[in-house]
Amino acid sequence: MAKTDLKFGKKLKKYGAVDFNACYNCGTCTAVCALSNEKDSFPREMVRYSVLGLSEDVKGSLKPWLCYYCGECTAYCPQEAKPGELMMSLRRYLTSHYDWTGLAGLLYRNLAAYLVAFTLIIGGIVGLYASNTFQFEEWMHYGHLFEMLAIGGVFAVIILPNIIRMWYSTVWKPTKKFKLKFYFKAISELLVHMFTQKRSLSCDSDTKNKIWWFEHFVLVLSYLALLFTTVFLDWFSATNTIVVVAGYVFSGAIFVVTTDFVIRRMRKRSEKSTFTHPSDWFFVIWLMLMGFSAFAVRLLVDFEMLQSTFWVFLIHITVLVQWALIIVPFGKWTHFLYRSFAMYFDKVNKLSK
Amino acid sequence: MPSIQKLNFDAVVVGGGIAGVESALNIANSGYKVLLVEKDLTIGGKMILLSKVFPTLDCAACITTPKISEVARHPNVTIFTQTEVKAIHKQDNHYFKAEIVKHARFIDESNCTGCQLCEEACPVVVPDQYQYGMVGRKAAYIPFNIASPRIAAIDIENCILCGACEKACPTQCIDFMQHDEEYQIITRSVVVATGFNLFDPVKIPRFSSETAQNVITSMQMERLLAPTRPYNHVIRPSDGRIPDKIAYVLCTGSRDLSVGNPICSQICCMYSIKQAQLLMGSLPMADVTIYYINIRSFGKGFEEFYEQAKGMGVNFVKGKVGKITEKSNGNLTLRYEDIKTGKLKEADHDLVILSVGVLSNDDPQQFFAENEWKKDKFNFALQKDLFFKPSLSNIEGVFLAGTTSGPMDIPDTILSAGAASMETIRYIKQSTVEI
Repeated sequence: MAKTDLKFGKKLKKYGAVDFNACYNCGTCTAVCALSNEKDSFPREMVRYSVLGLSEDVKGSLKPWLCYYCGECTAYCPQEAKPGELMMSLRRYLTSHYDWTGLAGLLYRNLAAYLVAFTLIIGGIVGLYASNTFQFEEWMHYGHLFEMLAIGGVFAVIILPNIIRMWYSTVWKPTKKFKLKFYFKAISELLVHMFTQKRSLSCDSDTKNKIWWFEHFVLVLSYLALLFTTVFLDWFSATNTIVVVAGYVFSGAIFVVTTDFVIRRMRKRSEKSTFTHPSDWFFVIWLMLMGFSAFAVRLLVDFEMLQSTFWVFLIHITVLVQWALIIVPFGKWTHFLYRSFAMYFDKVNKLSK
Repeated sequence: MPSIQKLNFDAVVVGGGIAGVESALNIANSGYKVLLVEKDLTIGGKMILLSKVFPTLDCAACITTPKISEVARHPNVTIFTQTEVKAIHKQDNHYFKAEIVKHARFIDESNCTGCQLCEEACPVVVPDQYQYGMVGRKAAYIPFNIASPRIAAIDIENCILCGACEKACPTQCIDFMQHDEEYQIITRSVVVATGFNLFDPVKIPRFSSETAQNVITSMQMERLLAPTRPYNHVIRPSDGRIPDKIAYVLCTGSRDLSVGNPICSQICCMYSIKQAQLLMGSLPMADVTIYYINIRSFGKGFEEFYEQAKGMGVNFVKGKVGKITEKSNGNLTLRYEDIKTGKLKEADHDLVILSVGVLSNDDPQQFFAENEWKKDKFNFALQKDLFFKPSLSNIEGVFLAGTTSGPMDIPDTILSAGAASMETIRYIKQSTVEI
């Protein structure tokens, strides 16, 4: 028997959903969605679940991740129920649901919590600097060490358990089936979607969408490449010209693309960039700051001016810590994994049918 | 330019559709002088062009024409066709001054016999607006066979001034020297019966109505089914084939905020069900599917009419069509969500009818400029007292008949016209001013 969560609608509003109760079930949203098909029909199903408070069905569904938010459903909705924005909010809700710590939900629902967390980190860094614990070289060294530890720690403690929780809700609970061979068979889905986001290309066939996809594609690759360059090749201390130049290219690309994304969100010309939740702002702005500050730090290293302008490094390390401890484990960063794992799990579910 | 002619009336009825005709008759039958102003070439409005009416399936032309001839021959009614109301000024003491322009028809109306020889002679062919563009007509033409007045007109915009019609006319009634005549009307009251506009589906590009020939509007289907129909059979426009998988897309331009019209048009469900039944009669082999959000069969006998259609085999699918794509053979693919199963589906049809909705006609706003014609939030005329005096506008002495105040079907339009004419008569009676 279906269980109705009477407060589900109210909860979703805290994740950014608006007006979905206006839905009169005509199905226009599903019919205009380029990604919807007979096997996976959305978003009206998700709107219906949300209106009726069927939170268990939402938790067990991968459909919110199958939507890449072209915004056609919102543009053509005869009731202005904004189904596209509901799908976005459901992704935030699911991110919170998968997160075992509950912090993701707390941050999504309260802007204040975000600000407190950010401030705590700024306080910590400033405090550390003021207490004169480390010398300049030690800052550089520990900064690098932190990156490696943060990646390993966040992955092992937060992300891996959360992906397992996602698997439990969306694969195990609804199907109660486990066949290892399907997981091997479907693995290409995971990799392809993780590194190409090609699904968003079929979202909308116009050139604007292709440009958006390309920018996003460059951003993802540059981000991963910069991560590799700084963490494993120790870009800030590297002497190899290829590594140094590569770092510049990657951080520069991140800065350029994220700046464009910020401008898009400010101009609100497409449905995709009309509604911006605080978590979206933090994600894109912090990524922009990361690109910019990393670029600046390495530039100062090359001009041997970093010691005299040490505050630039402090800003970079602050942004980095905030990114690694807040946005990556509990913020929008996780969509990188959840989206591709959703495609993977979806394939597994289809194979086991 | 000749000088402005002056005329006096007890009532001016703006709009010669069924609401205007009914109002004019009611007022004239009470002994008052009425001027019926129609901007088109003929009175009868949209009703005279319909096939049949729901839920009785009476022939629309057969029940409209007696009214039309009655009003045309009424001694108290003056009819001006092809006439535009430029302005109506309210004067202090229970009367109005109206400025109207009677456009040149380029025909001596009293001498034209309607023989159609000019039509035969005319070399110019343009789309026929009375058949909603499905066939052609000449530039010298009679609007349609049951038009009133049934006399010719010259479409001067498309006329090439060859003079062929002049030579063919046996009564020499064609007069290219005619020009627009201006009138100043003094009247005690005004009835606004300007009716409605149909939604133009070009505003929804994903329905492909502009590019796909076999996507037509419900008004075009009315014509295909009417006794005076263009092809004398129901065929699809692209290749003249007899359709056998026909689809109706309900709520095209109604209940849709994305095109700015949030309200139900109140007639589309029923006229679509009516057309489906007529199609079952004229094309017994055809499958007819109606895609709907909700079937609103709220009037007397409407639900039974709906059940009757189901009984005849009309297929009803809950789900609004989101996209119509034309295939190379002229067939159409409809994409929709089947709400009963929650699955996205695609269906092929060879003829698609968009059941277009009812939009307000904004003409009164222009001629009542000074008196501030007020509209409700749905763009229709504001009814001052919706419950107890529904035919009163916000201007004293101006009354609302028919779809001026909102979407309604024909029986309701007649009721509304009755109420408006009753209020008009009451208002004229109270007037003591000599005009």
